[in-house]
Amino acid sequence: MTPTAAEILTGNFMALIEPPPQESVGDYMASRISVIGMNSLLASQEVEMGAAVRVWENGAISALLSKAGAPLAASTEDLSITALDALNAKLRLALIAVHEAVEAKGDAALDREILTLYQAMADRRMLVLPVMPGS
Amino acid sequence: MSLADQLSAYLGRLWDRPVQVLDLTRIPGGASRETYRFDVEVDGERKGLILRRDPVGSLIDTDRRLEFLAYQSFYGRGVPAPEPVALEMAETELERPFFIMGRIDGGKAASPFTVDPYGVHSATIGEQFFSILGTIAKADPVGLPISDVAEVPDKAACWSKELDYWAGVIETDQLHPQPIVWAAIRKLRRNPPPPAQKISVVHGDYRTGNFLHDGEGRIIAILDWEMAHLGDPMEDLGWAIDPLWGHFDPDKVGGMMPRAEALALWEQVSGLRVDERALDWWSLFNAVKGQAIWTSSAREYRDSGGKDPVLALSGWYTARRHDKIIADRLASLEGWA
Repeated sequence: MTPTAAEILTGNFMALIEPPPQESVGDYMASRISVIGMNSLLASQEVEMGAAVRVWENGAISALLSKAGAPLAASTEDLSITALDALNAKLRLALIAVHEAVEAKGDAALDREILTLYQAMADRRMLVLPVMPGS
Repeated sequence: MSLADQLSAYLGRLWDRPVQVLDLTRIPGGASRETYRFDVEVDGERKGLILRRDPVGSLIDTDRRLEFLAYQSFYGRGVPAPEPVALEMAETELERPFFIMGRIDGGKAASPFTVDPYGVHSATIGEQFFSILGTIAKADPVGLPISDVAEVPDKAACWSKELDYWAGVIETDQLHPQPIVWAAIRKLRRNPPPPAQKISVVHGDYRTGNFLHDGEGRIIAILDWEMAHLGDPMEDLGWAIDPLWGHFDPDKVGGMMPRAEALALWEQVSGLRVDERALDWWSLFNAVKGQAIWTSSAREYRDSGGKDPVLALSGWYTARRHDKIIADRLASLEGWA
């Protein structure tokens, strides 16, 4: 699992709280702070979209599993990222098993649908860095 | 004792004369090891060096001996590799194994996440970049120092050796099920590439950002050989042209030059042929390999308490970009089982 926004923001704090050894100030520390800045920026996107993306993905996988004859509910009362990720893990495991079966059976139509779903899953989780010109 | 003092003592014993380490500074880059720049003053002369020390935690688990031997294999042989100076495997000197190499001053490395980093020099740099890769591919590994320790795979087994290894990394380190990358791994197994045309030294991380250029259109150092091994030269080519390293420009591989020109240059210098079927395989493989590295980064980030922001960025932003690259490639492959 990629780190959650909560983990990233906590990590940013941890990365800054310890004073660096003398030989690590300068370019190294400047670069480190720049990466921490990037992580904070990306975390702002994840905070905004993280729950919605997970709810969408869980629903989309559940719909595909139903179509493939292996239903698994996607609903949960708990909309915390932790709960949504736990449900997502179950759904993704089921999706992997269904995809393997589809490949073994040679069901080209359903295989295509799964590959299209993968594209949509990857699309929705993308994070966007601002344009940074090279030096 | 400070790191500089430890290093002075070590080099003094190694060279059997007094050595003073000056201006020791950690520098960013080469994220699989701690990297420091420093000067030594010995016999009244001053020289710039680089220390690469094993980290406490890292993106990837690599063999520093292989990296050192890779530098030895290409230093002074038509590839701008830094001069290897010393390798120390014992943990008694600087707490962790390390090696020292010559420093090449006056260069800069592009961040892969910037746009148009090479500006008007992009084509010139691209010509050197793919020509140097062709030179590495052309070299006969027999007799090169790296062959002392690197396993020599069978030409027909290069793909399975690499795929087994990186699939194993994902299996071990994944914290969450990854249906996209596993679909790619199954697809790669069902559709193996043709055998390697020859066994070559594979740099393992040959891409934009892993070389120094002088800002005037000249590549002055090829760095970061920590994943060097022997295998199919198409592996490096697939990694070099992966869209992740394209600087957001779909028309230029590596942000340097059009794909067709890059491949033609590589063919001309290496004397090898680009088989598009093989390159398709190695391209998808490299996206899987990338995802394996990012998966390990995410694991290490969590296991080490979130202190390294580079591991976070790798295990998160780059992981999602490679998922997108893999998903798009899976959907576009034609004629694959």
